[in-house]
Amino acid sequence: MKKLLAILLVLCMVIPAAALGEEVVKIGVYEPATGDSGAGGKQEMLGMQYANELFPTVKMGDTEYKVELVYADNGSSSDKAPSAAQKLVSENVSVVLGSYGSSVSNAGKPYFGEAGIPAIGVTCTNPSVTAGNTHYFRICFLDPFQGTVLANYATEKLGATIAYCLGELGNDYDTGLIYNFKQAFEKNGGMVVDEYFQTGNTDFTSYLTNASMYGAQVIFAPCSLAYAALICSAAGAQGVTTPILGSDTWDSNVVVDAAAGQNITIYVSTFYQEGGSPEFDAGFKAWINSDSVHLANNNGNDMISAVSAMGYDAYMVALEALKAAGSKDPKAVNAALWDVKYDGVTGAIAFDETGDAIRDVAFIKHLDTANSAWELAAVQGKD
Amino acid sequence: MQSIATRKKPSRAHILTAVIIAAVYALVFAAEQLLPASSMLFIVLKKGATYALVAVSMNLLNGFTGIFSLGQAGFMLLGAYTFAIFTIPEESREIVYQYYNGGLIRFALPVIPALVLSGLVAALFAFLVGLPVLKLKSDYLAIATLGFAEIIRAIFQWDKLGAITNGSNMLHQFPSFSSFNIRNAQGEVVVYLSTLVPFVIAGVCIALIVLLINSTYGRALKAIRDDETAAEAMGVNLFHHKQLAFCISSFFAGIGGAMLAMYACTVQAKSFTSAMTYEILLIVVLGGVGSITGSCLSAFLFVACSEWWLRFLDNTYTIGSFQVPLLRNGFRLVVFSVIIMVVVLFFRKGIMGERELLDLLRGRKGKEAAK
Repeated sequence: MKKLLAILLVLCMVIPAAALGEEVVKIGVYEPATGDSGAGGKQEMLGMQYANELFPTVKMGDTEYKVELVYADNGSSSDKAPSAAQKLVSENVSVVLGSYGSSVSNAGKPYFGEAGIPAIGVTCTNPSVTAGNTHYFRICFLDPFQGTVLANYATEKLGATIAYCLGELGNDYDTGLIYNFKQAFEKNGGMVVDEYFQTGNTDFTSYLTNASMYGAQVIFAPCSLAYAALICSAAGAQGVTTPILGSDTWDSNVVVDAAAGQNITIYVSTFYQEGGSPEFDAGFKAWINSDSVHLANNNGNDMISAVSAMGYDAYMVALEALKAAGSKDPKAVNAALWDVKYDGVTGAIAFDETGDAIRDVAFIKHLDTANSAWELAAVQGKD
Repeated sequence: MQSIATRKKPSRAHILTAVIIAAVYALVFAAEQLLPASSMLFIVLKKGATYALVAVSMNLLNGFTGIFSLGQAGFMLLGAYTFAIFTIPEESREIVYQYYNGGLIRFALPVIPALVLSGLVAALFAFLVGLPVLKLKSDYLAIATLGFAEIIRAIFQWDKLGAITNGSNMLHQFPSFSSFNIRNAQGEVVVYLSTLVPFVIAGVCIALIVLLINSTYGRALKAIRDDETAAEAMGVNLFHHKQLAFCISSFFAGIGGAMLAMYACTVQAKSFTSAMTYEILLIVVLGGVGSITGSCLSAFLFVACSEWWLRFLDNTYTIGSFQVPLLRNGFRLVVFSVIIMVVVLFFRKGIMGERELLDLLRGRKGKEAAK
């Protein structure tokens, strides 16, 4: 019985490999499917899977290669990340996409670097990911940029002079953005009060009361999705009318659901606004609705998250790099990536000398809580 | 357990044990030179060695002294941070401490002194914490140590200490296990040592723990575990011995934390949660409470299952037009939990019970001795 089971399991693994007679190029998907960032990671993966379904092959030189996505779940945790990274390395992928979350990207970085495999960060916004190495690229904007954009929006458009910042203690994403927001906001002549809550906190009423006690005219809370939803419900229940500013993590249907029907004002900065590419929107929605698993991975409805659009673009950039390299050798792909230029659904993508995408605008969206929909508030630059 | 006569003249079982251990090291070294460096095997061996050390250090407390402590993650955090803070090369400090102008500490120690230092820092904290906490018993002690681990985590994340701990941001760019590989002038690796080094560090530490357990101190600790009152009546100073075991266990947990930092290449307080302590406790229970061999074996099995062997469950497979049901990203964790529940329910004594490798090799005599 045991032997039979073992043979069956081995067959399960062998058959898919044997069935493919054609040339295959592998792209690693280094994303969290479990843990704190599991929800965001899955949405980012959806974009890549959709792109893979639209463009399943790539022509390198004269041969048509089939593109195979290899998944490795980094579990949103930097002590689980190395084995996920190593799995991709041992599968001989040509290029890696991901991850959602900067800390896991940093944890996987040395393993990709040692194997000479280039990686394209999709929505990891911390500057340290691409700093000091030549193999990590990214297609999104950085925290210093996002923090500044939001601070400028708060002073110029919302007319705020006192801001209240709320972040999760121990999360480098939150603290990094608050740091940059504070710098820019104080430069604009404003005053910032910042507070941090413990991981796992579920009651935000006291923090929101503090915000009004300090006379805050804007609340900036760049935290993970789970907390964002809780903050929305708490603000709605307390009748907080102060505008709440969120970062790119807030751009999700989870926040929309939490804020539905409540009298609160929410602005978020993000990479993509639905409607930016009608063709992508329509195709992606139809694809999501065609499969119950996709629908479940997208939190149960077909609203497009910016991270999905970014995932799509990351895949397309990888294809461009493969085409330019003309081979599936990771080192050639790495060399080719520097000069890749691509017009994606989230805007034009090109890399600067550190491997960061040259991006000069972020979309600021306002949440229409009555109709549960995002509307574009501004396209904001750094200055 | 051992008579004086057998210690003077090594028995066949002793020699066999030594041969097996030497063979393991030789195999690790050979595998690293021969197999491609990208193999998953090495990642599992590195993390397995790290977890083996931490599990043995926890076993010293829980299995041999009978102190039920859940502060392991806290001491690992202390070790990992100490190691990282003191080994980040000077030129990388500007990038790492990006929000704190390069941080306060402007020098870097070599790896081995930093390792010892990380153990010492963890032991120092254990001494201070032990003063009040070790007066407690069983569940209360567990809760107090668990609380300590959480407090330590919060303190390290506090941004007022950011110039040293980097606040909530991660520490990286310090030496990792791959820095031990010997490279030639062109930067190509000539001799791979990145897996052997964690084995050597863990091996030396575990050997020290074994020596301690087989000494008079070790026998006193076992006496405390079996019956505190009887031990005290026999002249064992309870507090002194508990404090000793607590500090030594934390010392090695600190070194284990530093090894985990080297393995993961990054340190962030966020990842040292109580879940990490439970993982290690699970390894100890699976291997057998009170068996060092068991802790080592189960550490490798645990890491291999969770990080390698079960990963295929995350992929979807289609045979012909039939798609294998249930398999999708994240499913591995479900299967893993079921396996653990089965083991804990039906194999309560773990893999080894209270026996060691030596007892196995001794055959039936060993079993009797273990009783």
